[in-house]
Amino acid sequence: MIRRPVPPWLFWLLAIGGVAVLLGAYEIVSARATLKNSLQTTIPSFEKLGEGFKQIFRAQGLPENPKPPMFWVDIRATLWRLVIGMATGVAASIVVGILMGAYRWIEAPLSPVVMFLSKIPPTAMMPIYFALVGTDQRMFTSMVALGIFFSMTQSIYQAVRQDVSDEAINKAYTLGASEMEIIYEVIWKQILPKIIDGIRLQIGPAMVFLLAAEMVVGNAGLGYQIRMQSRVLNMSIVYVYLAILAFIGLIAEWGLATLRRKLCPWYVD
Amino acid sequence: MSEFALEVKSLSHVFGNYRVLDNINLQVLPGQIVAVVGPSGCGKSTLLKAILGTHPPTSGEILTDGMPVVGPNRNVGIVYQNYALYDFLTAEKNVSFGLKLDETSLMMRLFFPRQYFARRRVHFEKSRDFLHQVGLADACGKFPKEMSGGMKQRVAVAQAFITRPKIVLLDEPFGALDEAMREDLQIMLLRFYQENLIAKREGRRPEYTILMVTHELNEAIYVADRVIGLSRFHTQGEQGAAIVYDRPCPVFSPDDPRDFSKFVEQREELRRAVFDEDFIKDRNEHVTFWKELGTLANSVGAIR
Repeated sequence: MIRRPVPPWLFWLLAIGGVAVLLGAYEIVSARATLKNSLQTTIPSFEKLGEGFKQIFRAQGLPENPKPPMFWVDIRATLWRLVIGMATGVAASIVVGILMGAYRWIEAPLSPVVMFLSKIPPTAMMPIYFALVGTDQRMFTSMVALGIFFSMTQSIYQAVRQDVSDEAINKAYTLGASEMEIIYEVIWKQILPKIIDGIRLQIGPAMVFLLAAEMVVGNAGLGYQIRMQSRVLNMSIVYVYLAILAFIGLIAEWGLATLRRKLCPWYVD
Repeated sequence: MSEFALEVKSLSHVFGNYRVLDNINLQVLPGQIVAVVGPSGCGKSTLLKAILGTHPPTSGEILTDGMPVVGPNRNVGIVYQNYALYDFLTAEKNVSFGLKLDETSLMMRLFFPRQYFARRRVHFEKSRDFLHQVGLADACGKFPKEMSGGMKQRVAVAQAFITRPKIVLLDEPFGALDEAMREDLQIMLLRFYQENLIAKREGRRPEYTILMVTHELNEAIYVADRVIGLSRFHTQGEQGAAIVYDRPCPVFSPDDPRDFSKFVEQREELRRAVFDEDFIKDRNEHVTFWKELGTLANSVGAIR
């Protein structure tokens, strides 16, 4: 029967079982590959993955002139680009999205432009960024910022149109609100949970744009390192990096969900 | 201060070629509860939106307390059928929202937190008092999503009245509520009316002036002290709907039994004058409120 309830103990058992099956299957595939070729690195065993994990935290360079471990170099570069890029993109889209939802004369000229540009896949726009911005730090941040700007603007503008009723706005006027006060006290507060959810949904695409760009032109960063290590078939490092990316995604998701619960206790989805 | 809380002067409204309202004239005294009834599509909402200021009339003038209405402003309060509460505010903050907008500025909220919070504490107290008065003492900390329809509508009423607007418009306020809730809220309005009478007796200006659109004739006569009927069924009907009925009606006190049989005759008169398509009459035939006012010894006279 569809949606038949499952007792909690069974649910948890199945959840753990799913992970165990995945890990077990991987171990079997890895062991068979090693049997064929004892030097293979494409499907490394867990032991090799552990070594890879240690290796990325080991200081690089000569002992008398140590350089920071590659993981710190990469994660700093990537997170910095991601955070600056997303912050810029989100801030701009909040301003433009709210103004579009609040004023018809701003909505009219911008909505077709935003709708059209939001349909171009940002990764396909990469050559344009190379040509216009160059390939330095600014290229990554502007790519992330613009990559999320259009769809984020679209969703904020929709949220204003749908979640803030004419009644709520008219009533605010009858209670003596100015336009600034309506924008901040009514519109902003009403759509704040939608904005936080929007950021959460945009982290995935932002990561895609950023890692793609890093794979093409980076000299540091998770995307760059994944490409470099996969070229020499150092899959023990590549897999560890992928797992770390998954954890970053989970942490960001959890953090934003918590933030939304704290800031908007009234919101139920 | 003007003698009238609300004045509508020769208001007409036209949508394209369709004439909705024709030459509406209406004066409302402070402290009156005026019910507006009429067949659906007769322009009740259009009139309400014009008074609210969101949809200016094609011609004519609207004054609240002598000041022309040029847009939605804090002289005219509104209570919607769908409550339109702010989801992100608790009941007590919803009610005190108007006080916040009135008595604090963005500057103060950002840069003078001590003054701001001191003032907000006073606001919350006032708001809790008002919620207590409308029977919601326990719901102060609840969000709209956690409240029933009747509770939400009480919050909306408190929210509209707390800033002391010159007049509050109720747009089918109890239409979405079940019968028991509806009765409670009607009695709440009757309480407001009693307070108006007390204020009047003590020489103060009454605080609760209400223009209420409803489709329930019993509710109109029971709650209001004056009933207005809007319809096209008069000799110049093609010009648009006009006020074809304007008479005082009996005043109930909150403790009186809800005895609708007391006004069966007036209800029938109202139904015929406003809703009967075959009864075409001169538009002023039943517009006798101001003539009757002089001769009346009932509460309307007391209000006056």
